[in-house]
Amino acid sequence: MKKQFIILCFLFALSVEFTFAVEQRFPRPDFESGYVQPEPTSPAARAAAWQYIDIAVLILTLSLSSWLVLQRRSRNLIFTLMLFSLWYFGFHRQGCICPVGSIQNVVAALFDPAYAIPVTVVVFFIVPLIFTLFFGRTFCAAVCPLGALQDAVIVKPQKIPAWLNQVLGLIPYLYLGFAILYAATGAAFLVCRFDPFVGFFRFGFNEGMFIFSIIIILIGMFIARPYCRFLCPYGVLLKWLSMLSKKHATITPNECIQCHLCADSCPFEAIQIPTPDKYPGDTTRTRRQLYLLLALTPLIVLISAWSFSNLSVLLSREHYIVQLAEQIRLEDSGQATSITDASKAFRGAGATTQELYLQAAQVQRQFKTGSWLLGAFIALVFMMKLIYLQFWRRRTDYEPDRANCFSCGRCYAACPKEHERLRELQGVLYSEDI
Amino acid sequence: MKIFNAEHIPAAQKVLQRIALIAAVFIFVISAFFILNYIQLKANPPLKSPALEKLYVQLDADPNNAELREQIRALDLLARKAYFTRQWQVNFGGYMLLAALVILLLAIKSISSMTIKYPELPKTTGTSWEVRLMTQKWVGLAGIILLVSVSALALLTRREMKTAAFAQPPAPPAAVVDFKIPEAADIESNWPCFRGPWGLGIAHYDNVPQRWDGASGENIIWKSPIPAPGFNSPIYWNGKIFTSGADATIRKVYCYDAQTGNLLWQRDVTSIPGSPTESIKVADDTGYAAPTMTTDGNFVFAIFANGDLVCFDFNGNTVWANNLGAPDNHYGHSSSLIIHRDLLLIQYDHSAQAGLLLALRANTGEQVWEAPREMGLSWSSPILVNTGSRWEVILSANPNVISYNPETGEELWRVECLGGEVGSSPVYADGFVYAANDGAKLAAIKLGATPEIVWEFNDDLPDAASLLATKDYVFVPTSYGAMSCLDAKSGEKYWLHDFDSGFYASPVLVGDNVYIMDMDGVMQIFKADKEFTLVSSASLGEAATTIPVVMDNRLYIRGSENLYCIGEK
Repeated sequence: MKKQFIILCFLFALSVEFTFAVEQRFPRPDFESGYVQPEPTSPAARAAAWQYIDIAVLILTLSLSSWLVLQRRSRNLIFTLMLFSLWYFGFHRQGCICPVGSIQNVVAALFDPAYAIPVTVVVFFIVPLIFTLFFGRTFCAAVCPLGALQDAVIVKPQKIPAWLNQVLGLIPYLYLGFAILYAATGAAFLVCRFDPFVGFFRFGFNEGMFIFSIIIILIGMFIARPYCRFLCPYGVLLKWLSMLSKKHATITPNECIQCHLCADSCPFEAIQIPTPDKYPGDTTRTRRQLYLLLALTPLIVLISAWSFSNLSVLLSREHYIVQLAEQIRLEDSGQATSITDASKAFRGAGATTQELYLQAAQVQRQFKTGSWLLGAFIALVFMMKLIYLQFWRRRTDYEPDRANCFSCGRCYAACPKEHERLRELQGVLYSEDI
Repeated sequence: MKIFNAEHIPAAQKVLQRIALIAAVFIFVISAFFILNYIQLKANPPLKSPALEKLYVQLDADPNNAELREQIRALDLLARKAYFTRQWQVNFGGYMLLAALVILLLAIKSISSMTIKYPELPKTTGTSWEVRLMTQKWVGLAGIILLVSVSALALLTRREMKTAAFAQPPAPPAAVVDFKIPEAADIESNWPCFRGPWGLGIAHYDNVPQRWDGASGENIIWKSPIPAPGFNSPIYWNGKIFTSGADATIRKVYCYDAQTGNLLWQRDVTSIPGSPTESIKVADDTGYAAPTMTTDGNFVFAIFANGDLVCFDFNGNTVWANNLGAPDNHYGHSSSLIIHRDLLLIQYDHSAQAGLLLALRANTGEQVWEAPREMGLSWSSPILVNTGSRWEVILSANPNVISYNPETGEELWRVECLGGEVGSSPVYADGFVYAANDGAKLAAIKLGATPEIVWEFNDDLPDAASLLATKDYVFVPTSYGAMSCLDAKSGEKYWLHDFDSGFYASPVLVGDNVYIMDMDGVMQIFKADKEFTLVSSASLGEAATTIPVVMDNRLYIRGSENLYCIGEK
């Protein structure tokens, strides 16, 4: 009963954030009073010194997290570091720039020569990837504020079917593809727009984002870290690098004794169980399936690319130039229901409609190319997943799934060998430190 | 470090449970307050007070009622105070709530960590093999559903999307123009290229103002903004002024009405075949639109730092466009265009040992001839000279001044006299060609069967500005403000005057006076004479490094932001 009450309180607390969203700007007085309205100014850029401090904190927390995960093997300390990251990168820095969103800045800089990307952003993008390549996803463990917030609200994690976990795990690839397309074309930074946590960090939401955020948090109480597992586009890059990582968190500190006790200890279902000794399927059939998949891949990729490219006009409607051109076209043909501020500004600027249409056509051409690539990429992801599943890898021990393990350290406590290690280290039966 | 011994754990858990409960109640209460506040704000927006609205209505009916105004002000102030007080309360409450959440979370986590959890055997059902089969099935199914959905949507919306697309309009039909090779009189009565007719810096009108002031508006007939930046100078033909502008991403050509200053048309220079996809790097003081345009009265031509070359008719229709290849030029391409009869001449010394002089048919863009120029980079512009017996196009570069037959590209003569980075263009007067650049010398080349240097000058030399030559004098501007006047035939120095600001722009002879814009946007006007006599210093009010267009009672000057028309008011 108490638990339900606490959850209820928590929900109330979340709704509080919503009140910040309705803080409307106070309108200026309606008549002359001699008051001089101050000139609007842009906020100053974050001071260079703070940017260096941010970089230093990022590198320090990543180093500490890697050490805690690989050497110290302390869940409690990982959790403590995670809370610090939540405060520093989340509430203190208000969630920006985060490595997750930095993908878009990097893509925008690659595709738009006029886009200036700060060094800090590049560092925030690259450094977690480098750490992942060496130590696994220790960034997810205790540095990412988005992950930290979700980790902190896990109440009673439930298991979902393994196949569903795998299928939902493909969504981040789609999200990454769309995020790159929209950043490369200058249409939008989707990852930032749909960041469900930044509203918490800044005490401000719009209504749609508030609902989305609440849904993610609610789900996150029972399905651990849903954003990290089923949405995070940066997680895709981390997955790839973690699979290749030089070192990685292990469940057991030395050897697996096949006790099976760790099997259900991971709320993220990132523990791989041992396989049978012999390949249980029909080898010939599997090989035939593999050849079929390999043969079908180019065709599927082409169909998908063609289909997505035919949606390019639809997708390009997120771009402000296309939106403006459509509005102007509607207004000029008498079909517009209202005139927008953007169209008023456009007509006041003296540019011609023809020029606007040319720009919109240019954007749509970019989307055409981008959508082809997006379609091909998505099809390739599905096909590669299916092909990957055709290969049989024999596994004798319980191991973290390197791609999906967040290195959170929850599984340490489930391993008797870990307790043995701690006993040897500290001389106690059960340590407070795991 | 152990905080509690095992026997203390139940008591500690109990304390923590109470803390968690108190925090939860606190959160509940504060949250309730916040929700009420939200509902209240939604229901009663602060400035929608009925009392205030009523007073506004009264004020509309009686706008001069001072007492009413005071009442509104008082009520408005009250509403604002209430609003900001509530905002402070909301912020403070928010932080308290956050603190309570943290306490709650820490308490729960601490309770949880104190609870000894014995490992359990897995509840997981199914083997890795079964999981694999299921995953294969569902990944395949999800993929098929996605592919079919997208394909179906693509097919269903194909027609609609085609209508919604902003198709690239077909290339406008080649402009129909009564093509006419301009006569000398047409050229002299207009300002068709860099430094006026044939690029010689000699104006054919002398009735232009000597005084103006951009700040006060004195003698400023109109000024119009030029949206994109560029260091090129404007050109003029029959009541229309053309100029170009560009940055790393855009390239524009503008056409203004000389009478009113209205922007008649502007065109983006995009989708040029062969145009480099990546931005070219240029120096800030060269920019992306340094070369001055040219016109033959039928078409206007513009070239940009990335090698995009475009031809428009006078109505802004694209006649042809091409890219000459990205120039390998560390400052940025700046040689201006010039027209000889129906040939567009392009000095394209864009790479050491790989320069070109190109002649393209003006109305089609087809190449008529090209002359390879195995010499260094240059930033100067060609001039056209009628020696009396023939036309020559003369170019300066390191180390030669070279003359070509503009009809065929045949080299007529060359004189070695320059060095370093040549930005200054050659000039011609009365049988002499004068060429100079800083770090080398000024050479006076007497034309004839075998052109030869008859005198040299080595003191203050230009690095960007060009010389001005008349029958009697040669004027030598420098980027540090020194201006020399030399005898045209002997090289004798008549005078040297130091101006306060330097010169990137080149001088123009207007009647008996020399007009030259300094880097501060001040036109220095002095007598073209053996004695230095300053006639006037007229300020534009903004920086400028361009050459004025000198027309009948009008000067047209491009500043850093605006195009100015100057005339006697």
